[in-house]
Formats: sequence, structure tokens, C-alpha cells
Amino acid sequence: MSYVEIPWIRLLGAALLVVLAILLSWKQKLGLGVDLVVGAVRAAVQLIAIGFVLVLLFNSEQPWLTLLALFVMMSVAAWTASRRVRHGPGWKALTPRAFVAIGVGFAVALLPVLAWVIPVRPLLSARYAIPIGGMVLATGMNTVTLVLERVFANAHQRGSLIEQALALGATPAQAMAPMQREAVRAAMLPSINALLTLGLVQLPGMMTGQILSGTDPTHAVRYQLVIMYQLVAVAAVAGAIAAWMARRALFDEGARLRTFSPAKKR
Amino acid sequence: MHEQRLQVRGMTVRRAERRVVDNVDLDVARGQIVSVSGPSGCGKSTLLRGLARLEPASGSVLLDGSDAASIPFADYRRRVSLVFQESPMFEGTVADNIRFGPALRGESLDDERVRDLLRSLSLEPDMAVRDAHELSGGERQRVALARAIANDPDVLLLDEPTSALDPAATDEVLAQIARVAERGLSVVAVLHVEAQARVLSDTRYRMKSGRLELEAA
Repeated sequence: MSYVEIPWIRLLGAALLVVLAILLSWKQKLGLGVDLVVGAVRAAVQLIAIGFVLVLLFNSEQPWLTLLALFVMMSVAAWTASRRVRHGPGWKALTPRAFVAIGVGFAVALLPVLAWVIPVRPLLSARYAIPIGGMVLATGMNTVTLVLERVFANAHQRGSLIEQALALGATPAQAMAPMQREAVRAAMLPSINALLTLGLVQLPGMMTGQILSGTDPTHAVRYQLVIMYQLVAVAAVAGAIAAWMARRALFDEGARLRTFSPAKKR
Repeated sequence: MHEQRLQVRGMTVRRAERRVVDNVDLDVARGQIVSVSGPSGCGKSTLLRGLARLEPASGSVLLDGSDAASIPFADYRRRVSLVFQESPMFEGTVADNIRFGPALRGESLDDERVRDLLRSLSLEPDMAVRDAHELSGGERQRVALARAIANDPDVLLLDEPTSALDPAATDEVLAQIARVAERGLSVVAVLHVEAQARVLSDTRYRMKSGRLELEAA
């Protein structure tokens, strides 16, 4: 492979761009200085650490280690998706649900691709499963966050409409159907927009990375297309499951609408 | 005496430590109109919500002799239909709203039936095509009543059904409630105007701090 390596000292130089953002924040009294410093340092620590972890995983090529890494990534994604939801039953109740929604979407979007589209062996080869899985998980996480927040917020704001439907003999599924549809639709829009503007507005990260590292662009675009189709699949599956699970959490055993007090903003 | 349609024994609704509805017994016969009055916050609306099984309640309820607990919630709520004091409208036209309940079961109401229901509550039949979110408070209250009647319930639970109406519309709505009761529909109505309760109902109750007291039968 042919690419220009970034020396550590030059990486530090790139951090001057963050210093510029901090100076602008200070000048305009935005109050974002601390967030920018914490964000920049945290991103550096996380990425450098993950770089070493990836080296370990790639060198060992143990499927169970890859599985463990994916499990940890999925858990963090589920926890992150759940703690952002303000009007639901709380992150402790939501995290297992988010885990299932993201996990099923992830499996549906990743495994067939690794088995047949990019016929990589072993199936859970870390070099493929971790980076591609990471992108799939991130989309699953964002979709589940949006769906959960939207379904619970809608139920909170439009509780009287839901109860009206129940009072006329609707089942919880019937009463919630329009709101579930609306939430999944809204959460899928970013993935669909990305698909529609691919190559016109954005050159996605994976393709850019491959091109920078010397891959023939005509090969890189094939990978990127596969990824984009995976992202749409994970959004559809994880979103639908999250909406279903949110609805189940919204009603008690007597098919009555539960009310949750809003959590503090995170 | 009429056959019993709804028999309630020991219904209690708790919120935190407070008994909002306290050990209520109530019998409603087929075609009977029962009114409940009482001061604000005494538990009238919560009683109706408990009867509609929209509120967790202890005690027992028999509907046409069958234990309510053995009836699926959606079926029960179709048969014991609650009309809220401020009933929200669903997306769509007035006709869409009136057809909402039957549509849940895959049934449809023809245009003439929709127009009849509107007419019976002194609303213009042409209103059927209007956007339901453009209705005034009084119109919305009557459309909500038409929507509940269209669902063919056995018991109608009405929470202040005339609170947003002018005197003429109030008389029409009370007359329509009396007409549906004559056809066998049982009614439990929370009414804040004493005179309306006297004119409309066969049996009058008064609610005080969650307890139901018989006023006149």
C-alpha cells in the first residue's frame, strides 16, 4: 500500500486547529472552551487506544476476541442510545431494549454481507468485522436514539389522543401505529439522504480512507456502496424493533398508557 | 326492572396514598341514565376512567353478567365507551373521526349514517367533510359524542358532555342522549348542572371525596 504516514509531531500540529476553535469560542464568549478541550483530548485518547486494540485484534485473528469487541461496542451503543431519551422509563430499562434492537439490526446488516458479498474467511475476521461493524453500529445507535426519543416524546405530548383511541377500542398497537410509523420514517431519513447524495455532496469516510491508503477508487466505491446499503438495512431493522419495544414499554398489563416524568437533559 | 348491564362492586382507584375513588358500588341497567355530580376534584372523572378501564382500579366489574377481567381490554372499551370532556380529534375529516371506531374492527360506516349521526346532534351534515381540527369546542364535543355512538357501545360514559355548548345545543345533546338510552344504551354521565341531571337521569348520585352517595332514584 502507498500512503503518506502522519508523524506524531505533525498530528500535534493538527491540534492547532482545535486551538483555533477554542480561541474563537473565547473571543465570541460561546463558553465552549472546556467542551472543546475535553472533546479533543477524549477523541485522541479513544482513537489512539482503539488503534492499539485493533493492532492486537488483527494480529491475533481470534474470532472470540472479535466477538467480544463487537459485544462491547454494541453495549456502549445501546447505553448511549438509551441515556439520550428524555421521556421514557429511564436508561436502565431502555438499555437492554436498545441492545436487542441494535443487535438484531447489526446481525441482519452485517452477517450476510460478510458471508456472501465480501466473502471474507474467517467470517468474523477482525480487519473487516470491526470497522464495518462499527459503522453499522453507529447508524443503528443513532436510529434507535431517534426512534426511542420520538416515540416517547410523542406519547408524552399526545397522550390524550392515544387514550382517546384506546377509549374507542383500539389496541395499543392500533393506537400507536401512526406515531411509530412517523418515528421510524424520521429516523431513516438521514440514511436515505446519505444514499441519495452519495458522491454528489459527500465522499464517505470509508471510501476516502481506502483511496488515501492506495486502493483503486473503482474498488473503493464498491465497498462504500455495500456499506451504504448496510446502513439503510440496520436503520430499518433497528428502527422498527426500537419502535415496537418503545410501544411495549409505554403500556401496562392492562393496556393502559403509562406516564413517565421527563429525565434531566444529558 | 331492567336487566343489569354494569355492576360495580368496591371500585377503588388510588393515586399515591390517596383514594381518589373510594369503594364505589354502582349498578347501571340496560337503557338507564345515571348521573354523577359533585365538586371539582371529588373523583368523578377518575370514576369514569376506572369504569373504562383506563385507570388501574381494584374491585369488580360485571358487564352483562361477565367479569370484565375476562373481556379483552379493546373489546371492553368498545362496549363501555368513554367520551372525555375535552375529546381530541384524530387527523382527517369529521367523517374520518366518526368512522374511527368501526374502522378499527375493519368495518365501515356509509355516508348516510355519518350524516344521520351529525344531524341527530344538531350539526350540519355537510360538516362531515370538514377538517376535524378546525372545529369549535362545542362542535368538537358533539362530534366526539357522535364518534362514540357510531362505535355501537353498550354503555356510554360521558364526562361533562355539555360543558362547551350553548343552551340550544345543550338541549339537543341531552335529547339525543335520552333517545339512545331509549334504544337500550346505558349512560353514566358526569353533569355539573343540577337541573340537567334532574331532567336527564333516572338515578342521580353525588360524589364526595371519592365516595358515591345516592341522591335520587
